[in-house]
Amino acid sequence: MAASNRIYVTEANEPIYGILAEFATPASVCHAAEAVRDAGYHKWDTFTPFPIHGMEEAMGVKRTKLPMLVAAGGFTGVGLAYLMQWWMSAVDYQMVTQGKPYHSWQAFVPITFELGILFSAFTAIIGMLALNGLPRWNHPLFKKERFLSSSDDRFFVCIEAGDTKFDPDRTRALLEKAGATSIELVEE
Amino acid sequence: MSQLTADMKHGHGHTDKAHLLRPANISLQHGAGRGLGVGLLVIGAALSLIVLGAGAAGAGGLSLKHAIGAYMVGTIGVLAICLGNLFLVLAFHLTNAGWVATIRRQAENIASYLPLAFLMVLPALIAEIATHGKLFLWLNPAYYGDELLLAKQAYFYAPLHITDPETHNPLTTPVFPVFFVLRTVLYGVIWTFLSRTMAKLSRQQDESGDIALSARARFTASWGMVLFALSTAFAGFDYLMSLDFKFFSTMWGVYFFAGAIFSGTATLILTLARLRGSGKLQGVVTKEHFHDMGKLLFAFTVFWAYISFSQYFLIWYSNIPEETAFYLYRSDVNSPWRGLGIFLMIGHFIAPFLIILVRGVKQRPALLGAMAAWAILVHMLDIYWVVRPMVDAGDGARPGLENGFWADVLGIVGPLIALLGYLIYRVPASCLIVKRDPYLNEALEHRNYV
Repeated sequence: MAASNRIYVTEANEPIYGILAEFATPASVCHAAEAVRDAGYHKWDTFTPFPIHGMEEAMGVKRTKLPMLVAAGGFTGVGLAYLMQWWMSAVDYQMVTQGKPYHSWQAFVPITFELGILFSAFTAIIGMLALNGLPRWNHPLFKKERFLSSSDDRFFVCIEAGDTKFDPDRTRALLEKAGATSIELVEE
Repeated sequence: MSQLTADMKHGHGHTDKAHLLRPANISLQHGAGRGLGVGLLVIGAALSLIVLGAGAAGAGGLSLKHAIGAYMVGTIGVLAICLGNLFLVLAFHLTNAGWVATIRRQAENIASYLPLAFLMVLPALIAEIATHGKLFLWLNPAYYGDELLLAKQAYFYAPLHITDPETHNPLTTPVFPVFFVLRTVLYGVIWTFLSRTMAKLSRQQDESGDIALSARARFTASWGMVLFALSTAFAGFDYLMSLDFKFFSTMWGVYFFAGAIFSGTATLILTLARLRGSGKLQGVVTKEHFHDMGKLLFAFTVFWAYISFSQYFLIWYSNIPEETAFYLYRSDVNSPWRGLGIFLMIGHFIAPFLIILVRGVKQRPALLGAMAAWAILVHMLDIYWVVRPMVDAGDGARPGLENGFWADVLGIVGPLIALLGYLIYRVPASCLIVKRDPYLNEALEHRNYV
């Protein structure tokens, strides 16, 4: 809601989350996604029982920033691990081990490598959750009985009321034109 | 999913399959480049053999020991490239890979050079055995008394012995390395059989389109992979690790394998980038295929680093003299090879890692092709780093590059020219893709969704 100054409510004065449209086939939901994308919407999503190849393009989803985050996390891990070992072995608590020099880069490599992996993995999982807005306790769509079939044999598009281009009539018309088999309002 | 894709009319897919598979796009003129190819093959082999000949004659400031070393670097480097492609072909079949239907033919073509690449290695081995060990000091009767060689003699000489059966004193006359030669023959048989069979089955499928041929190739790949793994690892032990018979590393086979797959993938990328550059395979081998081959190249630069560091790391830690000598000689502050070792750390791992990590590099044939060319160079330098120091080791010769450097260069360039000539001759001889592979549609629609 925050993105828009207009707040839409139902007749029962419930704030509206968005409009949910149901489609019968993967192809029709893909075409609908293209239509929604071309109409310039940003806050919307599709829900399908299985991954549909080409859906990213149909929705105009941009490539995730996650790889950059993971690289940053990984290199941070590598740097920190090396620094930590150097400080512990060569500065803070010098101890001769196997007659090797205090600062033996060879001995530091495994932990440097492992910490690089660990930081990458943590950044990947935490970054993925954060970028997806997870975890969350509930979702307005779960209130809709009809939405259950999105994990079975139906395909859905939901356009959020928070989108700057959202308009109850025009958005509904767009989805109707795209071939939705049913359209309903979703309360917040 | 193909029905869906067609329904959605997403631009690519098999809506224009017939257009993609038109002969002008997926084949070169039959017999094109035959003269050039055979010419380069002969020139490359001649350049390599000149090195050996000059060494035997003592010409150009070259000793025979140095000549054999220089000759081995290039020939074994090219052998590794072909082994790498044989591995890729076997792995593609074993995993039922679909996306490779349009690139596998070129891997088969490179692997088909294996019998010749193997033949190219033989003169070095024959010269070694004939001269009783210039580089392979274990062939030299002067070392027969060495405790470590006595412990390992069965690996080279069984069923013969290098000690007198009565007195157990070391013999003073050269003994023929029976087991070593038997293994070499076995490698030749295995590699020739596997590369021929894989190429033959896929060409038969071009004619008949029989799906059973894919199943047969997959079955052959199942036990062929075991033979490949053993023969490659032991070839690494026999031809590279035995240069210093006191040295031992159980990781050496994997180290040789890692370099082989790295350079093999690089050669495959270069071949396909060149074909694309000449206007072939448009829409058939796409940026998606290059992206995945780039991932393989990336994976194996990491794998090489992982293996070669692990090998070094264990030896560094345990500090056993006969093991550390190998590294000490190459990395000591006074060693002339120290710089090359550091260069390999950066050039064979750190730089390719950071560059190929970038998605855009993997997806652009020109950039990935440049990295592939670099990969072949550092692969050759890696083998050079293993072989060349042994030329100066052992007999008090002054280590360094000054004497006969031309032979080092020729020894690397010659076998590569021969490989290039073979590919120019071989590639036009059949369709550029496996045109009736059952997975062809999958390969044509191949995409990386992430």
